[in-house]
Amino acid sequence: MATNHQQIQLQLDEKKDKQRKIFKIVGLSVIYIVLTIWAILTFVPLIWMFISSIKDTTSITQVPPQLIPDQPTLDAYRRVFDVGGFARWFLNSVIVSTILTISNVVLASLAGYAFAKLKFPGRNTIFWILLGSMMIPGQITLIPLYILIVNTFQMADTYLALVIPTLVTTANIFLARQFMASLPSTLIDAARIDACSEPKIFWKVILPMAKPGLAVLGIFTFVANWNNFFWPFLVTSSNEMRTLQVGLTSFRYQYTADYGAMMAGAVLTAIPMFIVFLALQKYFLKGITIGAVKG
Amino acid sequence: MSEVRFVNVSKEFEDDNKGKFTAVNDATFTIEDKEFMVFVGPSGCGKTTSLRMIAGLERQTSGDIYIGDRTVNKAHPKDRDIAMVFQDYALYPHMTIRENMSFGLKNLKRPKEEIEKKVSEAAQILSLENLLDRKPRELSGGQRQRVAVGRAIVRNPKVFLFDEPLSNLDAKLRVQMRMELSELHKRLGATIVYVTHDQVEAMTLGTRIVVMNQGEIQQIDTPEELYKNPKNMFVAGFIGSPPMNFVRGRLDGNIVQTVEHALVVPEDKLLKYAEYQGKEVVLGIRPEDVINIEHLPDAPAQNVIEPVIKIVEHLGSEFLVYFGIGEETIVGKISSDYHMEVFKKHQLYINMEKMTLFDPQTQMRIG
Ligand SMILES: Nc1ncnc2c1ncn2[C@@H]1O[C@H](COP(=O)(O)OP(=O)(O)O)[C@@H](O)[C@H]1O
Ligand SMILES: [Mg+2]
Repeated sequence: MATNHQQIQLQLDEKKDKQRKIFKIVGLSVIYIVLTIWAILTFVPLIWMFISSIKDTTSITQVPPQLIPDQPTLDAYRRVFDVGGFARWFLNSVIVSTILTISNVVLASLAGYAFAKLKFPGRNTIFWILLGSMMIPGQITLIPLYILIVNTFQMADTYLALVIPTLVTTANIFLARQFMASLPSTLIDAARIDACSEPKIFWKVILPMAKPGLAVLGIFTFVANWNNFFWPFLVTSSNEMRTLQVGLTSFRYQYTADYGAMMAGAVLTAIPMFIVFLALQKYFLKGITIGAVKG
Repeated sequence: MSEVRFVNVSKEFEDDNKGKFTAVNDATFTIEDKEFMVFVGPSGCGKTTSLRMIAGLERQTSGDIYIGDRTVNKAHPKDRDIAMVFQDYALYPHMTIRENMSFGLKNLKRPKEEIEKKVSEAAQILSLENLLDRKPRELSGGQRQRVAVGRAIVRNPKVFLFDEPLSNLDAKLRVQMRMELSELHKRLGATIVYVTHDQVEAMTLGTRIVVMNQGEIQQIDTPEELYKNPKNMFVAGFIGSPPMNFVRGRLDGNIVQTVEHALVVPEDKLLKYAEYQGKEVVLGIRPEDVINIEHLPDAPAQNVIEPVIKIVEHLGSEFLVYFGIGEETIVGKISSDYHMEVFKKHQLYINMEKMTLFDPQTQMRIG
């Protein structure tokens, strides 16, 4: 009797195990299918951009479109450089993005540390004001900012105009404060007892621990500024001051547009971003989970 | 001379939720040179705040703090000649153990050879020699604890400050570290101020103990004195495990009359209770002063009660037995030589020689 019962139980268990396995396989399949579709959807425009950039001027607007060009050509890339200024735009983008990345990392980490760990009168009030300013949409401040930079400061068409408004952003201060707050305060106390001066505490104790967070902050700032179009478009007018994203628009003429050159330019613009993404992948992943897991 | 002295020291916090909040109220005490002084009390009573004021990490709202013979009211932590071991160890995660231990001396710009010598000495005392090039995350809890102690030792401070250093260790390691800390104290010959919420730790480590509650110092005494002569019901109830039993009653002549029993007060004690004749009192009895009469050579003539035992807990060599007097539950700690059965009546002798009386209003000890 007992053994019989046990056998039935065993069989039931086996059945359950099988069921569980099937559920697992089905679940995983669904996840993979969804992710694959998503990946394809995000990748198609990129592929299309690349394919278009190696088509000739007639086949690029052909309907139905050629999926694989019969006569691939690098002509569009040559035109990008022929128009003149591409190298300068690239340089401008590098300069502006680099300056803003450095300034944001430095200033946001200092401000974030102060808001998270130092006691000073009005700390919370100032922080709430900053936070409140994040609620104001950029479109509202755009025109006053433009008037300030272009009319008041007479900075139109300069590097200063490109970098000053976002030397440090509120969002970055907030982000920095969040991960600074997650660092244990006793380490700062320990450093004070270890005869460490306040600037040195920041430099020797806080910064090394905040490195992953700051790397994320820096990378996101760099990418955002590299891809920024509207503000550089507003405050630059000469060809030499354009950034890449603004420069690409110069392939659009009054009545026609050189789509091939635009696509080729876009490919060239995107390449540094791909490199950044691939090289610093682990930081991007950390950026998504920052603050989510502690310890 | 490295005594630590508080004179009327108070600390108020401006809390967003609670408003003004007094964490330490008017504390005055002296920690003698080379003393192992333990601060004990329930969580939130102001122990850590007191320690941080000694360290200079927190500035007192009022009062004076002396270390040695000078005031340190406004001195920076680095100028106080102290070192501190934190509850969470606070090791710098990005530095190796060696770097962690030498960080303070480097900041003080001591010569390299001296730093190296001190670090290797401390590492030897704490058996950390093989771990010096590792990072804190590669160490076990007990090893991290040692590093934190080592970081304090290399500073060779006048005063060591410990904030619940053992609370993150498992029970076995805690006992071992307790002994090591005791030995370390003898070896270093330094003043130690040690904070814990665990009264067993306090009793085993302290040469003297400060008992705190809600920001107030309740009593400062040796472990023995605290146990034998607690100043008030808080101390009596906090020190000892299980804590002292309290039974309400009235003092009539040489008798404490509880709801159920008339217990006889020894002659020699009556004098100091004279003022409370005919008044309400609280009788305090330690669990070990509840004795199974079978353990006594002669049957006592008085102070024997016969309650129904409600719970018996086995602790190996002892039983903890619980029974009621009126509405109060009393616990006795009784040698397990004789079997005790639950839900049965047992004859128990109350050793009134060791009794304590408290004033029910002020909660202070009488006499
Ligand atoms: N920085 C602070 N701000 C406000 N309140 C504090 C601060 N530090 C401690 N307190 C409060 O002071 C009281 C005593 O704290 P503490 O000294 O840490 O107690 P413990 O005895 O547990 O170590 C607690 O109620 C705590 O909430
Ligand atoms: Mg504490």
